[in-house]
Amino acid sequence: MSLFNPEDPFEIDLISITERAAVFNVEIKRINAKMDNAIMSYKDFVTYIEAILAISNSTSDYWKLNVVNDNKFLTKKQSVLLENPEDINERLIATFEYHVVYNISYAVPVLCFDVWNQNGSRISLEDYWKYNKHLRDFNMHDTLTQTDHPALNRPIFAFHPCKTHEILKGFARTSKNPIVSWLSVVRHFVHLELLETYIKNC
Amino acid sequence: MASEKSLSYVPLSSAINPSFFSKLSQLKLEVLKSEEKFVPIWGYTKLINDLNLPVNLIEVDSTSFNLHFLEHETHIPFYGNVQNVNTIEKFKNCDKQLLVDLEGAKFHEKLMNGDILKNPSLINWFHLLTYADLKKYQLYYWFAFPVLQNIVLRIARTCNITEEFSDNLVNDLYNEFKKLDSNQKPYFAVVKLQNFVQVNSLYETCNDWSFFKERELYFAFINFAPADNVGSNLRLYAACLVHFHPDLGNTEVNFIALNLGRNKDGVTLKSSTVYKLKLPDNASIDWSRWLGWEKNEKKNMGPRFVNLKKSIDPEEIMELSTDLNLKLMKWNMVPNLNLNKIKAAKCLLLGAGTLGCAVARSLLGWGVRHMTFVDYGVVNSSNPVRQSLFTFQDVLDSKPKAQAAADCLKSIHPGVVTKGYQMSIPMPGHLVNGEDIQEAIESVEKLDKLIDTHDVIFLLLDSREGRWLPTVLGARKQKIVINAALGFDSYLIMRHGIHVENATTPQAHNTSSRDLKSISGVNLGCYFCNDVVAPGNSTKDRTLDQQCTVTRPGVSQIAGAYAAELAVSLLVHDKGVAAPAYYSSKNNELDVDETEPSVLGLVPHSIRGFISSFEQFCPATEKFTNCTACSQFVMKNLFLNGTQFLLSIFNDSKQLERISEVPKYCDSIDNEAILDEEFSDWEIK
Ligand SMILES: [Zn+2]
Repeated sequence: MSLFNPEDPFEIDLISITERAAVFNVEIKRINAKMDNAIMSYKDFVTYIEAILAISNSTSDYWKLNVVNDNKFLTKKQSVLLENPEDINERLIATFEYHVVYNISYAVPVLCFDVWNQNGSRISLEDYWKYNKHLRDFNMHDTLTQTDHPALNRPIFAFHPCKTHEILKGFARTSKNPIVSWLSVVRHFVHLELLETYIKNC
Repeated sequence: MASEKSLSYVPLSSAINPSFFSKLSQLKLEVLKSEEKFVPIWGYTKLINDLNLPVNLIEVDSTSFNLHFLEHETHIPFYGNVQNVNTIEKFKNCDKQLLVDLEGAKFHEKLMNGDILKNPSLINWFHLLTYADLKKYQLYYWFAFPVLQNIVLRIARTCNITEEFSDNLVNDLYNEFKKLDSNQKPYFAVVKLQNFVQVNSLYETCNDWSFFKERELYFAFINFAPADNVGSNLRLYAACLVHFHPDLGNTEVNFIALNLGRNKDGVTLKSSTVYKLKLPDNASIDWSRWLGWEKNEKKNMGPRFVNLKKSIDPEEIMELSTDLNLKLMKWNMVPNLNLNKIKAAKCLLLGAGTLGCAVARSLLGWGVRHMTFVDYGVVNSSNPVRQSLFTFQDVLDSKPKAQAAADCLKSIHPGVVTKGYQMSIPMPGHLVNGEDIQEAIESVEKLDKLIDTHDVIFLLLDSREGRWLPTVLGARKQKIVINAALGFDSYLIMRHGIHVENATTPQAHNTSSRDLKSISGVNLGCYFCNDVVAPGNSTKDRTLDQQCTVTRPGVSQIAGAYAAELAVSLLVHDKGVAAPAYYSSKNNELDVDETEPSVLGLVPHSIRGFISSFEQFCPATEKFTNCTACSQFVMKNLFLNGTQFLLSIFNDSKQLERISEVPKYCDSIDNEAILDEEFSDWEIK
């Protein structure tokens, strides 16, 4: 028996994952609606990452497509031997997991990554800088930060999307796949290997 | 390269994915507990190695514990066992040589019974010894990639694959390789013919050995080291081949160390190497002596150690450690405890004062993840010292108590789903008219919905009449209702019975033995059952010190803790809200085993305690037929007239007594007797 009007506007609000997904979808619609001045719609983003995935599969590369809460993103795991440019004896094998995710508020792709040692402990940003010449030369400290993963809602390293915006603008009209063009620029900062095949085909 | 040189090998290298530790913890907590048995796990390495790595990494992660390995297209599996020992001493002192020798003996068994020949990917194997300190997020671990001791392979000749195979044949080889079953991919045989290559499994080769041994035959394997080096697995492979074909002993045999790479056209094998190697004599191979423990970061023979505290998401750590404490309790003290039932329980806390705060803290400790607060007040300056979820800042912000309590829970444990509602609960005798009517209706509806969507309702309000509406609704909706009330130095915690349609009058106490009596949980009395007078406006005539609830500070902590413990005992009881309450009619001590206990023990009806004498006892009483809250009369009126009925009660509490036919009841019984009866419950033996 229900005592009271079932159409009570009052709602128990739990921010559940499904609700987050719903919010995400609404946001996507909102952003797509004003696409004229935005750089990349979510729809375009998906088209581009699917193109990358196709090339990856044909070359046995390791990009994988993930779908979480209706949110598609690419990931790839890759290990690299890092050397401290100042002390060649200081070397370590780092494993990166790259995520190419869509950021709805900036309407751009974001390159996120986790990086850990061979023993599974995470490498801090400070330690990471020590091994990356590019980061230091380009003064990228400010753009590389810890942030929440847009789809997984957990902390992860990422390049702040404001810079992405700048870089993408340069490719917006010319590139067949702006995500590949953008990755070819930022990959140096995170040791991301990008086969020539991607650049050739995009 | 010089001939007649012995090969040098690159040992394999292990890598732990951060997700591995969480999974191992879970395995230990939920499955292994304090067992130290071997658990089969997968390791894997990439088919195409990353560019500048000195050797392939054999990685383990959370998927390592899966039944099947699913990434055959891009990765090569390694078969292994993990053994997690319980103490650091055991980890340090156990005989490592014996361990690999014993595991090696198992491998040898598989070789003898033909398993290896049918599935040569078993040659890729490892053992992992761990000691996980779950509380500190520390992991001691040591991988072994066992190989036989004393296997010497001499190089007779070596060259790049393109020197012996044309480009077309190399491409052909890759295409044939791709067609192999995933278990055959790491080790197989290649026959070189004029215009093409033929790829066969080791099994096929062995079955038709007299044919194959006359061909231009190469034994291929995936090389885990970069080109020009060889992974240490080659030695075990060679020993297995000599076992399959003893006539290969002391002869020179062709091998192809496959190194997959990528070029413009896709995947290529062009950096692979051909070796002509002199194999040892079959009789000289000692299958009982193994080695292969991995060196640590310092290049010493020793285990590795990692502290993963900083590597795991802090929220995950919080979640893990809360669960850890509970699970330790579970498997040490109460193995049958259903923690998930507690974790899933949605709790509604009506009142976010001293009691609300205390109950919430205890529930949090139990792993309850869903708590909703309802309170009308804002945090004032007298609150923070007694009410454990508030701070001085909340006073400055004049934060609503319900919100402040929810925010605080979140800051203690971000994984909690919690919300606070600032609203008043309509009460009998607190007049509702004019504009207030709409507000009262809305409050009733809100409360109704909140009770609907929660499993356990805590009545932690500071007035008697505020408990009336939630008591009525909770009984009606058959929820677990836990009521806590404080005096200056006394407390009462009780659970309520529930309303059952067309119920007959409560059964008399069942006697099971001696003076032991029980009442079904359904028929237990509510807070109002012992009162003949309907709840009215109890704050109206009070002086100031009566209006503030003045209690000894410890009382609310004790009562809050009992309220939470009673709720949890009830939640894990097989009969839930219907769990019977047992009591001794002569106030004798109860034998818990005779009381249909939950896994946590006795589930009493009520707990009454007195701090002045530090005494406590657990009486049980049945529903009162003429109760002004839980009786059939009230339920019937609520059913028939809903909100209208409630509004009329808010305006005139005396009506309740009429509805419950209390005057009739009073006429029939003399007041002295009621008091006596109640008092006998209270008396200490
Ligand atoms: Zn009652």
